Amino acid sequence: MKVLVLNCGSSSIKYQFIDTAAQSALAKGMVERIGMSSAILTHQPLDKEKIKIVGEILDHSIAIEYVIAVLLSPNHGVIKDKSEIDAVGHRVVHGGETFSGSVLITDQVMKALKDNIELAPLHNPPNIKGIQATKEHLPETPQVGVFDTSFHIKMPPQAFLYGIPYELYKKYKIRRYGFHGTSHRFVSQRAGIMFGKPFQELKIITAHLGNGCSMAAVDHGHSIDTTMGFTPLEGLIMGTRSGDMDPSVILYIMAKEGLSLSEANTLLNKHSGLIGISGESSDMREIEEAIAEGHKKAKYAFDVFTYRIKKYVGSYAAAMGGLDALVFTGGIGENSINVRKEVCRDMGFLGIKIDQTKNENVKGETDISASDSKVKVLRIPTNEELVIALDTQQIVSEELTSARAASSH
Amino acid sequence: MPEEKLKLEDLLGGVHRNEELERIDYVAIIGGGVMGQGIAQTIASAGLDVLIVEVSEEHIKTSQENLSSTMEREISRWSMTQSEMKSILSRIKWSVEMTDVAECDLIIEAVDEDYDLKMKIFKGLDKIARPHTIFISNTSTLSLTKIADVTNRKDKIIGMHFLNPVPKVPLVELVRALDTSDKTVEIIKKFASKIGKKAIPVYEYPGFVTTRAIVPLLNEAMHILLEGIATAADIDTAMKLGYNFKNGPLEMADAMGLDEVLAWMQTLWDTLGEPRYRPSPILRKLVRERKLGKKTGEGFFKYDADGKIIN
Repeated sequence: MKVLVLNCGSSSIKYQFIDTAAQSALAKGMVERIGMSSAILTHQPLDKEKIKIVGEILDHSIAIEYVIAVLLSPNHGVIKDKSEIDAVGHRVVHGGETFSGSVLITDQVMKALKDNIELAPLHNPPNIKGIQATKEHLPETPQVGVFDTSFHIKMPPQAFLYGIPYELYKKYKIRRYGFHGTSHRFVSQRAGIMFGKPFQELKIITAHLGNGCSMAAVDHGHSIDTTMGFTPLEGLIMGTRSGDMDPSVILYIMAKEGLSLSEANTLLNKHSGLIGISGESSDMREIEEAIAEGHKKAKYAFDVFTYRIKKYVGSYAAAMGGLDALVFTGGIGENSINVRKEVCRDMGFLGIKIDQTKNENVKGETDISASDSKVKVLRIPTNEELVIALDTQQIVSEELTSARAASSH
Repeated sequence: MPEEKLKLEDLLGGVHRNEELERIDYVAIIGGGVMGQGIAQTIASAGLDVLIVEVSEEHIKTSQENLSSTMEREISRWSMTQSEMKSILSRIKWSVEMTDVAECDLIIEAVDEDYDLKMKIFKGLDKIARPHTIFISNTSTLSLTKIADVTNRKDKIIGMHFLNPVPKVPLVELVRALDTSDKTVEIIKKFASKIGKKAIPVYEYPGFVTTRAIVPLLNEAMHILLEGIATAADIDTAMKLGYNFKNGPLEMADAMGLDEVLAWMQTLWDTLGEPRYRPSPILRKLVRERKLGKKTGEGFFKYDADGKIIN
């Protein structure tokens, strides 16, 4: 099946056109600066030259029309007819408590998505716009929504409730939701394959360390806890986000520095984390370079970052009552030898031991654990677009089968 | 990467040349003073392009330096990042040629509150700008209808009264002159929301809502001080704690600039004629002594270089 995967932001749309049989992208690209006269469309067909076009794209509907047009274009395209797009899969940031898995988009689903806008006021409206625009241009093509939150949504109340008045949960749905669910699900399934056992029989900790960072405790195939919370600010230290801290700190800073709500929000989301501590960079590669040059604050940033991960490894092992595999993924997780090394240092008591040679020579999916390590330590590149495409294929095929079954009776 | 060869229109055969859409992508601002800079920063951070027109290269340089240092200050207060500042500055162009505004989709005038100057500018712009371009004035005290009279587009003249500091205050008063059309109001309402401001429509009347309601309060605080009822610090503390004001009225007056406050009171008094708008003598005295508040380091309070009150 050929699936168009769309990730619609407020002024950009990222797309991949994926052949699920070959599990590869036939073309990928993005539209930036939607709403402007100088919008940019970049398009990269597999094995062909990358192209960049600048022009006026006023809204998501026109942007999607261009995406379809470029896929169809004789010189740069990959299909001859619209009907070759078998289905469209959308990344949707927040499914709230409504969606525990990917779903075929129906009118009812659209309504539920709109009801969840308040939980993700920045992300969900463009996701919805993207779905509506796709429907305009591909009215017959089935669409599927894949949620960042849904993999975590079955975690138990002990993990999702905050220690604040219960009525606030009832009134505003304030609870832990967690994000990066598509990635945590994908890499834990892959871990099961590398382990030679279905992931439903394993206790896995997944660490998605990228621009945003989060970890999940995946117990017998279910996320039972995750570090991100009501918003993606909680949990691990990230490039520019603070992660866990005493909530009174921010009240104290607001009073001391006379910060407004939006300034406080920017402080925690854009000026904290690696950049905030190091004063150098939000990029782990640059932090590691700075450490090599002897920058003390860069070292602090690295230490706080890795120590926080280590703490969560311990607590999630405790939460699951054991551990079979620890997975590193995301830009930092896949590429930083030092981060993996530091997180796994002195963790023998938990059965975690890495082989430094293997850790230094990773390629694709790699088992970096030492031969006597009880826990498998794995480096698994994530591929969220592929998961969205595969989910879409599965749901659309099921729908087709049940539709056929219904019509044959 | 082959760039210019391929055009978007080629992909679709040019079906989307949507001329009717009132698209606002490029905004001209006449005057690069404090208000002009603030408006430019606000519009550019919403992703639109801005052209600031000033009278000379020296003015441009000063204006650029001030805008940069304002943003540097915001970065040091963690409300902006270096890359946000970079992208905002990259969207702002500068010029001394009024004729450059011909390309712009919207023109905002933010020069000093001077009838003759504003009328001269609007008359000139009327000849340069495209016929459907809307003109906005940032005036808070002058009659918009009188300014509109010198143009041939009275239905496309509207006021936007931004409050200082523009990027921080989420409000703008949308001022209708006598001939402003409903369509103009609708377009500018949308524009306001695009740049992150809640627009309150008001009819042209001295002081609108914000100035009319706040300035007499500041004046009253000055009377209280003058009559020896309480010290300046205690008046401010009383209002802050008693009514949950973020800043007391005297500090607020200092922040606005006492010369500005005096000018507003004077206008309200002149135009509305009520004795309650008579400027307090202590306000006149401080302005005469050029103690204009935060910007000169002294007004009702003394300020350090960071604008903090020295106790």
